[in-house]
Amino acid sequence: MEKDVILEFNNVTKKFPGITALDNITFSIRRGEIHGICGENGAGKSTLMKILAGVYPWGTYDGQILHNGQDLKLRSIHQAVGEGIAIVYQELTLVPSITVGENIYLGKEPVKAGIINWDKLYADSQDVLEKYHLDVKARSLVRHLGVGKMQMTEIAKALSENAKVLILDEPTSALSEAETDQLMEILRGLKKHGVTCIYISHKLEEFFKITDSITVLRDGKMIITEPTKGLSVEALVKHMVGREMKERFPKGNRKPGEVILEVEDLHAQNPLDSNDEIIRGVSFNLRRGEILGIAGLMGSGRTELVMTLFGEYGKITQGKIKMEGREIKIKSSNQAMLYGISMVPEDRKLHGLVAIQSILRNISLANLGRFSSWFRINDSAELKESTYYAKSISIKAPNLHAMAESLSGGNQQKVVIAKWLMSQPKVLIMDDPTRGIDVGTKYEIYKIMNDLAEKGIAIIMISSDLQEVLGMSDRIMVMCENQSVRTLNRSEATQEKIMALATGTESQPVLER
Amino acid sequence: MTKSTASITTTTKKDPSQFGQAIRNNLQTYALVLAMIAIWILFYFQTDGIYLSPQNFSNLFRQMTITAIMSVGMVLVIVAGHIDLSVGKLAGYVSVIVAYFQAYFWADHLPDAPALLTTALSVLVGLLVGTLYGVVQGWIIAYLRVPSFITTLGSMWILNGLILIATVGKTIPANQPLFSIIAQDYIPKTTGWIIAGIVAVVLFVSMFMGRQRKHKYGITLAPMWQDLLKTTLMAGFVFGYVYYVNVYRGIQNPVMILIIIVVIFSYIANNTRLGRYTYAIGGNREAARLSGINIRGNTFTIFVLMGFLCGVSGVVMASYVGYGTIAAGGGYELFAIAACILGGTSTLGGVGTIFGAMIGSLIITSLTNGLQIMNVPSAWQYVISGAVLVFAVAADMAMKKTK
Repeated sequence: MEKDVILEFNNVTKKFPGITALDNITFSIRRGEIHGICGENGAGKSTLMKILAGVYPWGTYDGQILHNGQDLKLRSIHQAVGEGIAIVYQELTLVPSITVGENIYLGKEPVKAGIINWDKLYADSQDVLEKYHLDVKARSLVRHLGVGKMQMTEIAKALSENAKVLILDEPTSALSEAETDQLMEILRGLKKHGVTCIYISHKLEEFFKITDSITVLRDGKMIITEPTKGLSVEALVKHMVGREMKERFPKGNRKPGEVILEVEDLHAQNPLDSNDEIIRGVSFNLRRGEILGIAGLMGSGRTELVMTLFGEYGKITQGKIKMEGREIKIKSSNQAMLYGISMVPEDRKLHGLVAIQSILRNISLANLGRFSSWFRINDSAELKESTYYAKSISIKAPNLHAMAESLSGGNQQKVVIAKWLMSQPKVLIMDDPTRGIDVGTKYEIYKIMNDLAEKGIAIIMISSDLQEVLGMSDRIMVMCENQSVRTLNRSEATQEKIMALATGTESQPVLER
Repeated sequence: MTKSTASITTTTKKDPSQFGQAIRNNLQTYALVLAMIAIWILFYFQTDGIYLSPQNFSNLFRQMTITAIMSVGMVLVIVAGHIDLSVGKLAGYVSVIVAYFQAYFWADHLPDAPALLTTALSVLVGLLVGTLYGVVQGWIIAYLRVPSFITTLGSMWILNGLILIATVGKTIPANQPLFSIIAQDYIPKTTGWIIAGIVAVVLFVSMFMGRQRKHKYGITLAPMWQDLLKTTLMAGFVFGYVYYVNVYRGIQNPVMILIIIVVIFSYIANNTRLGRYTYAIGGNREAARLSGINIRGNTFTIFVLMGFLCGVSGVVMASYVGYGTIAAGGGYELFAIAACILGGTSTLGGVGTIFGAMIGSLIITSLTNGLQIMNVPSAWQYVISGAVLVFAVAADMAMKKTK
């Protein structure tokens, strides 16, 4: 038994100011197995993997990690790679403008007298690709690859350094089902070559397809490590959420009213590429005072849909949007706001916040028209109203003149929400509103959402977190491959049902391989 | 929601953080002002006091006006995330055109018109040429989406060519007495005092009105003594400046023009939607777009304003130099950009103030002027000015890192 173990975690504890991210984690991983690690956002998966990959060096955490029976004391990512531990990150880290081979050998190009030996570089990288049956050409430009092939390139990059332990952090989050199957096949191949894989995912079914054993983390604690055979999806979910599931979402007390927004058979294309149909038939309706959840995998067209509704992305080719019974055409965010539609975008750093400006200026940005004539902004009115909205959702900051970038992620998100509340929307679209936010603030944001719905605002919420969708929505629209598949009532919706619809496994039988 | 964990305070007297925040946000500006004063003191001793004599002090401000006027617009351009390399040549072209009208056109076409009318028309033509060029350039950048760097680089060459065409390689005189008044004359001393008085009154009145407005909206006011002190200090500076330049010959006309422009454009930057949107676009273009801001329209307007300011700068240049030449305005764009950068404008966009750029401009002028008085060869003047620019930004970077 001892010989079989490649990695052993003994009482690993990692504390950040004010939060214990990992609390006495103890478990071991056997050589050559595919070991799944699952848990909710914030359960500590990423922190644990960052320790293993040398991102948090030895000494910044307590406890011990044994690698082949030896005490592992990593000081850097570089050293981890030297030890044969490599991580394939969730966000792809390739340089798009150069070739696959160049990416694989980036920073360690074979050189002779300071000159890169291109022939060797491409021959070697092609060898790595072929050895592990990665179906990519070393001379292809990364820019021309699909997400799945990029992922393969990442894996090849890790393997080219003789990685014996490969950490895959949510590798399938952006993959189609076919690509996922391909990845699974590759992982099985790696197993034959004796590579140990640590597999992190939010898609529970995948664990049962591929892993040998599973470790569940919850709130920084190790809950179980068990062979996959003895587990079921239900058992896994129970372990993941514990008993706190019911308390995670505040109960709302709302009565959805009449229909305010109707979308009928909407089709839209990428404005820059008319061959790229980003929405292929979406229909739904939305009532006042209701929270409609949109579930679907990444890449299912969720964000494209709401961006199109907000007038900022897709070019509508077919279908209708009706607001309060009248058909409307939305051509810009400005127009959407006039109709009473506002949107809290998916990526608050990229799309929501002007980080280098004060909270005040961020909140008032979309609504300056209300307190200004063409030649003057009434800054007193601006301050008064902004303060009102900041207070109404409890933004924690010394004052409104503090820079937005100085706030925590949760409070930054609240600033974005305050901005859109100030526009007094009838329909509020929230694209993954709690992404990357701590549990406490999440709860506050849920309460704000309930509050708004009770006041009659119709909310469309996109979320990758199925439990959040289930916990918050009155109805859930599931999207798959840029279409709306079905809208479920809260009572009939389960995680499994949504997953089946989102992956298209319910409507179509799984193809034989 | 009612259980208030919120600690948002608008402006309570007890909360010093608001005041501290303001200081922290403006740290860079204070550091700059101190640097400028240090430079003045240094040159004062190096030149046996000549440097800060009323005459030289007056000249210092006049020397900076032509590029400082460009810097005012350049701040907005850079804050919006763009750059304008054509300002020097555009102002130069305007100066040449104005000189041409002054020297030949009116004489040919309106020989009997009074000088006052033709001069006014010349100025108008200058402003129009600058603004129109801004319209074309703004349209290309905002609506055809050609990067501003490319567009304005092209413009620089185009305008250089246009200058050669307009001058036919010759120098055009623009030293008509009435026209020279614009940049070479002084405001009568009594008028200077009256202006200072009016400014002081306006400062106090707007301070009180601002307090009243804040009160109306239920915003807690800063203590009265703080506002009074601030306003009194500002009024003091105005009177001090007018006193000192009046010891020599009074406020120079071009400096007065610059001050008016700075006041108007600072107001635009801080108190209008155009200004606010510009900072937001530079800070995060996508967030601004999703907030319903018309980015193209905004960008267009900024380049039109920049063109207008080049018009003003060109008129002042023609009047100050006294003729239009083929070399007019060459390299001025770099002085204008350097002044912005020195004054704390971020090349990444979103950050920068017009006041800062004015201090930056003054620092550059102070250096050149001081080195000239010390008879430092012009070759070394370049070396020193360049080193100071890089050093200042390096110091700023170091300061930001330690924060």
